[in-house]
Amino acid sequence: MNHIYIENSSANRAMEVLQLKNVSKVYTLGEERVTAIDKINISIKKGDFVALVGPSGSGKSTAMNLVGCLDIATTGEIYLSEVNIQKLTESDLAQIRGKKIGFIFQTFNLIPSLDALENVALPMMFQNVPRDIRIKRAKALLEQVGLKERMYHRPNQLSGGQRQRVAIARALVNDPEIILADEPTGNLDTKTGDEIMDILKELHKKGRTIILVTHNPDLTKLANKVFTLKDGKIVGA
Amino acid sequence: MFTDYFLLSLKSIRHRKLRSWLTVIGIVIGVAAIISLITLSRSLQGTIEDQFESFGANRILISAKGFQGPGTLSQGLTMDDVETIEKISGFEYVIPGIFRSSEVNFKGQTSFTLVGGIPSQYYEEFYTDTGVDIVDGRNVKEGEKYVAIIGSRVATEMFDKEVHVGDKIEMGHQEYRVVGILQEVGNAQDDSQISIPLDAARELFDEEDAVDLIIAQVKVTDEIPQLQEKIEKELEQERDDTNFQVVTAAQILEQIGQVLGIMQIVLVGIAAISLIVGAIGIMNSMYTSVLERTKEIGIMKAIGARNKDILILFIIESGLIGLVGGALGVLIGAALAYAVGPLSQNAGFTIHITLEPLVLLFGLAFAFVVGIIAGILPAWQASRLKPIDALRYE
Ligand SMILES: Nc1ncnc2c1ncn2[C@@H]1O[C@H](COP(=O)(O)OP(=O)(O)O)[C@@H](O)[C@H]1O
Ligand SMILES: [Mg+2]
Repeated sequence: MNHIYIENSSANRAMEVLQLKNVSKVYTLGEERVTAIDKINISIKKGDFVALVGPSGSGKSTAMNLVGCLDIATTGEIYLSEVNIQKLTESDLAQIRGKKIGFIFQTFNLIPSLDALENVALPMMFQNVPRDIRIKRAKALLEQVGLKERMYHRPNQLSGGQRQRVAIARALVNDPEIILADEPTGNLDTKTGDEIMDILKELHKKGRTIILVTHNPDLTKLANKVFTLKDGKIVGA
Repeated sequence: MFTDYFLLSLKSIRHRKLRSWLTVIGIVIGVAAIISLITLSRSLQGTIEDQFESFGANRILISAKGFQGPGTLSQGLTMDDVETIEKISGFEYVIPGIFRSSEVNFKGQTSFTLVGGIPSQYYEEFYTDTGVDIVDGRNVKEGEKYVAIIGSRVATEMFDKEVHVGDKIEMGHQEYRVVGILQEVGNAQDDSQISIPLDAARELFDEEDAVDLIIAQVKVTDEIPQLQEKIEKELEQERDDTNFQVVTAAQILEQIGQVLGIMQIVLVGIAAISLIVGAIGIMNSMYTSVLERTKEIGIMKAIGARNKDILILFIIESGLIGLVGGALGVLIGAALAYAVGPLSQNAGFTIHITLEPLVLLFGLAFAFVVGIIAGILPAWQASRLKPIDALRYE
């Protein structure tokens, strides 16, 4: 893991990559209303390594999903590189997910019918990147996460750690502005988890903006900003 | 761009081999049924039309009404009726014929078959106009009496030993020399017939005056309806009864066409039902497939797939399944028609199977369209799932 492939286009410009202003998310289950996120304000700059901590059910995943445009906030405003995503159409949001966000999930979320190479290349297909470039980029990224020999393996032929590496390569493939990692080591043993964290560390060093959700206090040491959530509110920053 | 989606769909189909095949089978059955049934019924119609064409479009047939045979002579036709018709102008010839069953002996073996008798002088014209060739030997000549022309089945199948030109067959204690063998017509009755001169037939059946069938060959096709009417009028006047019927080849063809048409509707109906069942099968499979892959849809949306990308992917997938099912169905359907066709021979009829490219193409196109239509609804639903809901689905 000597050199992680990054080519962050506007590397050293200090600007707000992400801003949450008074964002709330309320789930309605019949009569019951669950406030998963309660008027939170967060501001994240380019190159930040942000840790989001808090007990289970405190709203961490909900916050990540809102930032990742997978869900829409009930109230408040979210700015992604100064664009208010609350006002965008589903099709525009899909474009943003593909181009500006790199999601790394706890459960890897790879497509089972595709091999590692195809999984990594897939996000570029939705951005109309020509096939030869897709293959080239995907191969380079897989090589850099140490999976050169496993490119043509399908997810069920890979270990948990290897799958998460594929997922990381996939998250990087469209050169996103933010990497969102929701408990990326939650399904891995300690040793493998450490290796994944090393990769994230390396990405941060090279200038990537990362938001990491974790339970592990050790991991928060890596971060330059830590937000603690409790019952949907930020209780410590 | 489209190629990428196509390849992605293909991989997805191949990944779920068993389920995909189960879906394909539904379509295969429907298309195979429709192709084989349509091909069979159209081939049957074609075969019958061919036969009647050879039978002669310019013929009017006159026979006694209802059952005709021994004991009903009083109602039957006689040579008087032949004369009545001969007096009407507009015919090339009017042939009296006797057609009855007889015992036939050949080399010690006995069989039973239809024996026809028409005057020896008409043989040449009759078979020329009928369009049936003599493949071996020659035709009956004017003035001959104890000679016979035999159908192809009489020659090859009726007796253990094959009957050749020059052989003697025996009917009613009288020997007949076989002078000619007819080409195969395709239906058992005609191919099993023995034809002898009318004089001989009168002796054989002990009938001096009776006529079973009068064949009137018209000169001008357009005059058939008027001539038919005239025959009916004259015969009724002369005989003072209506115990006879006058039909044209066209009328017979029309009747058969009607029966075949009904049969075709029934067959196509059955095939359509099986195709609908196949379509419902695809739809069901597509729904299950979408449900099973809800999470996959969520993943694709999370990495940038738009609603329309998902929609296109699923539609291509179901279209492909339809196309594969259609192609297999067309192949199997055609093979079925070819397999069933010869079976008809046992029923005394040879259906000549002709595959029509348009029918095959229709089968293929239909399956493709059914596949797409069956896929649209679940695909549309899949595409509209909220990414987070799809992702959370287990
Ligand atoms: N789709 C949903 N419908 C209803 N309630 C939900 C939904 N998703 C999350 N919640 C609720 O919102 C709160 C925050 O959940 P979540 O963001 O998953 O917490 P965390 O990731 O910190 O464990 C919890 O109380 C959870 O039950
Ligand atoms: Mg969570």
